[in-house]
Amino acid sequence: MMGLTSYLVISLILFVTGLVVMLSRKNIVAILLGIELILNAAALNFVAYSRYVTGNLDGHIFSLFIIVVAAAEAAVGLAIVIRFFQIKETIHIDEATQLRN
Amino acid sequence: MEYTVGNIAPIFLAPVLAFVINAFLGRKLPRQGDWLATLSIFVSFIFSARIFSDFVFGKFASDNFIHKTFTWFDLSYGANIWKVDMGVYIDNMAAIMLLMVSGVAFLIHLFSTWYMDHDEKHGRFFIFLPLFTSAMLALVLSDNLLSLFIFWEIMGFCSYSLIGIYNKKEKAGDASLKAFMTTRVGDVFLLLGMVAIWMVIGSVSYVDIYAAIAQGKFDGQAVMGISLATFAGLCIFLGGMGKSAQFPLHVWLPDAMMGPTPGSALIHAATMVAAGVYLSLRMYPLMVLGDLTWFIAVIGAITAFMAATIALVQTDIKAVLAFSTISQLGYMMIGVGVGSYNAAFMHLITHAIFKACLFLSAGSVIHSIHEQEMPKMGGLRKYLPYTHFAMMCCTLAIAGIPFFSGFVSKDRILGDALYFGFMAGQNPLLAIVPILGFAGAGLTAFYMFRMMFLTFYGENRMHHHAHDHGHGHGHEDDHGHEIHLEHLSVRQNIPLLILAVFTLGFWFAGTLTGQTFGKVFGAKTEWFKILVEAPKVEKFINHPRELLGSTDSRPATDLPVAVYDHHSDTQTGYAGPNPDTHKIHKAHTIGAILSIIIAFSGVFLAFLMYIKKSVKPLSPSFPGFTEVLKNRYYFDNLYVDIVIKKGLLGLNRFLAWFDMGVYDRYAVDGWEKVNRVLFTASKWFDNVVVDAIGVDGTGVAVNLFNLVLRIVQSGKIQFYFIVLITVLASYIWTVNI
Repeated sequence: MMGLTSYLVISLILFVTGLVVMLSRKNIVAILLGIELILNAAALNFVAYSRYVTGNLDGHIFSLFIIVVAAAEAAVGLAIVIRFFQIKETIHIDEATQLRN
Repeated sequence: MEYTVGNIAPIFLAPVLAFVINAFLGRKLPRQGDWLATLSIFVSFIFSARIFSDFVFGKFASDNFIHKTFTWFDLSYGANIWKVDMGVYIDNMAAIMLLMVSGVAFLIHLFSTWYMDHDEKHGRFFIFLPLFTSAMLALVLSDNLLSLFIFWEIMGFCSYSLIGIYNKKEKAGDASLKAFMTTRVGDVFLLLGMVAIWMVIGSVSYVDIYAAIAQGKFDGQAVMGISLATFAGLCIFLGGMGKSAQFPLHVWLPDAMMGPTPGSALIHAATMVAAGVYLSLRMYPLMVLGDLTWFIAVIGAITAFMAATIALVQTDIKAVLAFSTISQLGYMMIGVGVGSYNAAFMHLITHAIFKACLFLSAGSVIHSIHEQEMPKMGGLRKYLPYTHFAMMCCTLAIAGIPFFSGFVSKDRILGDALYFGFMAGQNPLLAIVPILGFAGAGLTAFYMFRMMFLTFYGENRMHHHAHDHGHGHGHEDDHGHEIHLEHLSVRQNIPLLILAVFTLGFWFAGTLTGQTFGKVFGAKTEWFKILVEAPKVEKFINHPRELLGSTDSRPATDLPVAVYDHHSDTQTGYAGPNPDTHKIHKAHTIGAILSIIIAFSGVFLAFLMYIKKSVKPLSPSFPGFTEVLKNRYYFDNLYVDIVIKKGLLGLNRFLAWFDMGVYDRYAVDGWEKVNRVLFTASKWFDNVVVDAIGVDGTGVAVNLFNLVLRIVQSGKIQFYFIVLITVLASYIWTVNI
């Protein structure tokens, strides 16, 4: 029988995976992917708590919002990455130093 | 009969408009706008004539007046009323004065269009002439001393500009400065007098001053130990002395002839010098209250006699006229002083007319022959018949020959002076007033006919003399030797002839309505006597104010019509108690006979000296005294050499020594030393405390802080994430424990 715990475990795995990707990779696209994983972990948590604890649709609606915001964020992030690549010809995170000094 | 802004304001606003237009656009107008100035004065004349006819022909009531005010500025706060009213005050005196000023000024303008033709200063002259006239008209309309003072100063400025209009001539510049500075001495006193009056009654309006005098508000008030009425009256009279060229302050007027002759005519006749006498007449109740009338009479007598003696030896035709103006102004002041109020005012009017004519005639002569030294003239009667006729009428008037206006007014002043000096029970020393007055009258007759005989009679002395350019205008060309016969010209001769007509005595001695037209002797029904009298101060108490623009509270029909009483002599009050009518009549009879005898003997002496040449001129017999007279009693030397060079320059030297020796050495240099010490201390404070510790110390501290911050602020975004998550995790961990 799959209960709340199973969902939380999967969510934890997704969160930790995303966090590790975000902190360890130097590729900007990879970092964006890590952020997506964290967001999805959070969305999964919302749905799970909504189903097993509160019993109403608040969590579902929240996760829908998260998906929309994540899509928008990915679009903006990828646009930045494309402009960044056009300027620097690389997508290495340590090259993003224009705002220094 | 309604008086509103619409029919009072154009009297002085029309010339102001002409002034503004001529000042900015005059160069572009045909004839540089002289027609505009003349036309504007004519507009003033029309409006003045309407007021004159209302006051003089409408009703012979001497106490009628119109007083309208508006608040100029209001600084009242709480219960303190502090506001300044401006307004219009017209009584019979102002109405007559308005007509005289605008009429004479119009004729002078008309004459100037001829005189100033082709002159390089033509345009400039017609900028200041209408402004001058408008200031005088506004001064006459003023209801208080403050606005009077404003227009008084505008006139001072205009006279300065007109006298110094030939600004390339150094003498003209000096003369204009002299006129401005000398009258300024009087103006300071006038301002002081206004302040003194303001201190007591909080207003400088004529009506308020009269009411305050009637209510006794001046009683018991004193400034510096003298009664306030005396102080204020004296100060105001000193202002009038400056403007009207009375004895110690007369020096500017003879030099004022440096300007063009019509400008002199305006200054000497209708405007500038009349203002001082007008002010003295307006403030007559204050002079009586301050017991100053004897002082005014003495100053007037000294002026009248002194100027007449100086005029005896002048050779410049304009200088003779200038000194005769001073002398006649002296007579007006005698009139004010001895209490013949209406005769003084009448002399102001008659003098304005004949003196304007005399100056314009002199201008006509000067312009025709380009010469103003009388010894180089002679025999001009043949060439300038109209000018000769006009000038002869005016000379007869000023000399006090019967049937001419000067006789009517001067005789009454002298008659009153005779009463004042010998019969009124005054201090016996005041007999000097009639003695000097009669002596001056004889001299006037003599020097005026001397001028006439030297100019118009005898043989022509022009051809024998080299032609110098002493004449008062810009032509340096030399066609002056040829004299052409004068033709009757509208602009040159008509003003002279109109003025000459008004030198006849019956205009002033009659009633203007015809009942006793032409009654020159006896002088019982003169319209001046009925219309003009010293203000009766009692009627001004609580007189209601009328706002400008409101309808008149007293309609014309309600006004009392004066009764012609051929026997009541409305003699004005002296300072003393009830004047003895019988004695006054006696004084007037004696005065009339005396002045006729004196005038004719003066004329006869001039005739013997300069036509028959049977009596030698006296000047070679008294070379010393002639020299004194030629130097004008050394008043100019007194002021320049002693007052200015010795007094003022000495004072200036002392001030310079004080400035350099004391103030500069001790105060300025000492202050410098103090500053040096302060500066050193300040420098040390700046360098050590502010710069080293404050500024540099801050920099060092910031640098140190940077060393730490630089490690944290690596710019690597993933490092920030790690820090963030570490902090978050440790926080959650700590809280959970």
